[in-house]
Amino acid sequence: MSEFLNLLAAGLTSGAIYGIFGACLAVWFRVCNVLNLAVGDFAMLGAIGTARLVQTDHLPFAAGVVVVLAAVGLIAWIFDRVVLHIAFDRGLGAHGIVGVFFYTFGLSLILEGAARAVFGTDVYSAPAIWPGPALAIGDVHVQRAGVLVIALAIASGLILWAYLRFTVSGRAASACGESVLGSRIVGIDSAMFRRRIFIMTAALAALFGVVESPLTGFTYLSGPTISLIGVVAAGFAAFRKPGRAVLAGLAIGVTEAMLGGYVSTTYNDVLLYAILFGIIILRPEVLGLGAEPA
Amino acid sequence: MSEPAAADRGTIDSSAATGPAAAAASSAGPPAAPGAAAHRVRRHDPVPLTATVVITVLGGLILAAMNGSYLGLTVTTGVAYAVVTVGMVLQLGYSRQLAFSQSVFMGVGAYGTGVLETKYGFSSLESLLAVIALAAVASLLMGAVVTRAPGLALALATLLLPLFVYQLATDSGWLGSFSGIDGVLPFWNGPDYESTLVRSGIISVLLLGLAAGLVLRVIRSGVGLQLMAMASDERLGESIGVSLRQRRLEVFVLGSVLAAVGGAVLVSAQGLVTPDVLSETAEITLLLMLFVAGRKSVVGAILGAIVIEYLTTSTSFISTNIGIIEGIALLVILLVEPDGVAGAVARLLGRRTDRWAESLRSWSAGRFRPGGGGNGARNAA
Repeated sequence: MSEFLNLLAAGLTSGAIYGIFGACLAVWFRVCNVLNLAVGDFAMLGAIGTARLVQTDHLPFAAGVVVVLAAVGLIAWIFDRVVLHIAFDRGLGAHGIVGVFFYTFGLSLILEGAARAVFGTDVYSAPAIWPGPALAIGDVHVQRAGVLVIALAIASGLILWAYLRFTVSGRAASACGESVLGSRIVGIDSAMFRRRIFIMTAALAALFGVVESPLTGFTYLSGPTISLIGVVAAGFAAFRKPGRAVLAGLAIGVTEAMLGGYVSTTYNDVLLYAILFGIIILRPEVLGLGAEPA
Repeated sequence: MSEPAAADRGTIDSSAATGPAAAAASSAGPPAAPGAAAHRVRRHDPVPLTATVVITVLGGLILAAMNGSYLGLTVTTGVAYAVVTVGMVLQLGYSRQLAFSQSVFMGVGAYGTGVLETKYGFSSLESLLAVIALAAVASLLMGAVVTRAPGLALALATLLLPLFVYQLATDSGWLGSFSGIDGVLPFWNGPDYESTLVRSGIISVLLLGLAAGLVLRVIRSGVGLQLMAMASDERLGESIGVSLRQRRLEVFVLGSVLAAVGGAVLVSAQGLVTPDVLSETAEITLLLMLFVAGRKSVVGAILGAIVIEYLTTSTSFISTNIGIIEGIALLVILLVEPDGVAGAVARLLGRRTDRWAESLRSWSAGRFRPGGGGNGARNAA
């Protein structure tokens, strides 16, 4: 039983990581029908930037986090003004399924290249927010950073879900994703919602990178894999439901841990990807996806 | 790819062609004059056989001139990627089938060749043919399931493939784990390294020429018109009698087989295969080669693959900052010219030739105006 509970705790920790990035992707996709493939790179910048500012430049931890979050927010704002504004508000450039993937993919490449140039190829970990040995509850051991990761994921999922479901602003944001023209006719500033939520999710991803990095460590190459798993978690939430994305991420993490514990430690990832692939292909209706953007 | 005979010859005459191809041609825009659809298709695409010959001869001469140098190896590696991106033109560019499985099938080609040659003693030709058959069967089986999924689900499913297969290759001792498989034979052995590289390079450009000819042949046929109709609106395609599932499957299989051939070319040029060929980074590189150069242009896809491969291995400044350069290039292309560099060049050349045609028309109108003193005037008189 203790083995099962330890595996469950480990699975929930890694699942929370998948889930939060899935939630970030889902909430922005809901607003503007674009996948943020740079979400993992924002997390990477958060983790590596904080580690660098605190450990090398000797800034206090809180100041380092604030500086990094502000920098990430600024990058997101610039990207929105320079690229997304031209593409979606002025109607220039590629649209449809190409636009869904490739604008933020370009941003991801730039952030990855810039991180390599500035931070090099070393592995970085931001200082732990809650330092100390692993917590023990009976025979179950959980890293303190893991507890924070799970708590932050659940809190973020609940807050985003409540924002979209119960607030006027959240409903207006959702309306932008349903129809940009319709939302503009009724006076909703779709560009503002796109920009604000992009900046907010970029900062959230960066904060999550800071919290998570004591567990996994980050290099300049960590972003794409995180984004990819986030896309999968968001996919199981129809790319539009952040609360469900967190749940999907948690389920994926727990499945991965159980496969590693009870089936094969070597092939657990292979089996996990095969299961996810099988679900998507054999039961695409589970994803709840509508028609692709024209 | 069954099709009415007239359409299948690639000489669609709208007065003769009936059925889906003709409907696709006529539905692409306002009613056109007889033969206009055929004219539109012909005007932009070179004759496939000519393309095959030109690519093979020109590529062979260039590689021979490089005489087995490091640059020759880089170009041959670029040719391997070009075989894959030519298939992607049909799959992603022309048919808008958003599948991210090309690196996986490239890996099938590379690992298949490596295993067959090093473990089972196959020759280069035998392993190439076996790999083509293997990729065709694998993509047919996989495509029969995968292509049922709608657009975003297909993208999501195929995004998982590189993760899955990369993990499998790194975990497998039989496939050499992280070290991969070494000692793969070149396509055509020579007395020394340089001549081997040149000879293998010539075979590689021949395969590239055949791939380009095949893709152009499909694009120019009635099937190509059906794919164009599907890409613009699937419901439109369905309403004019196009079998969406069949066409999706055919495009998936053809793109996958060409990716496998590209993998075989790559491994024969480099002599070894590692799991890197299967990673999501390889898929990203292929997508960049296609999108920056022009996702709807066969020539663009070939040049894009070779130029980007050259840039990644040229100066240390470029290879270090390649991510930033590729990212900026991709964004600029998407914003300014979604059809890539090839689209921009085509548009520029089109404007220039239009200007030349306009000047020629005004010059001839002035010279041959009735009563204006030219031959026309004399004839009129």
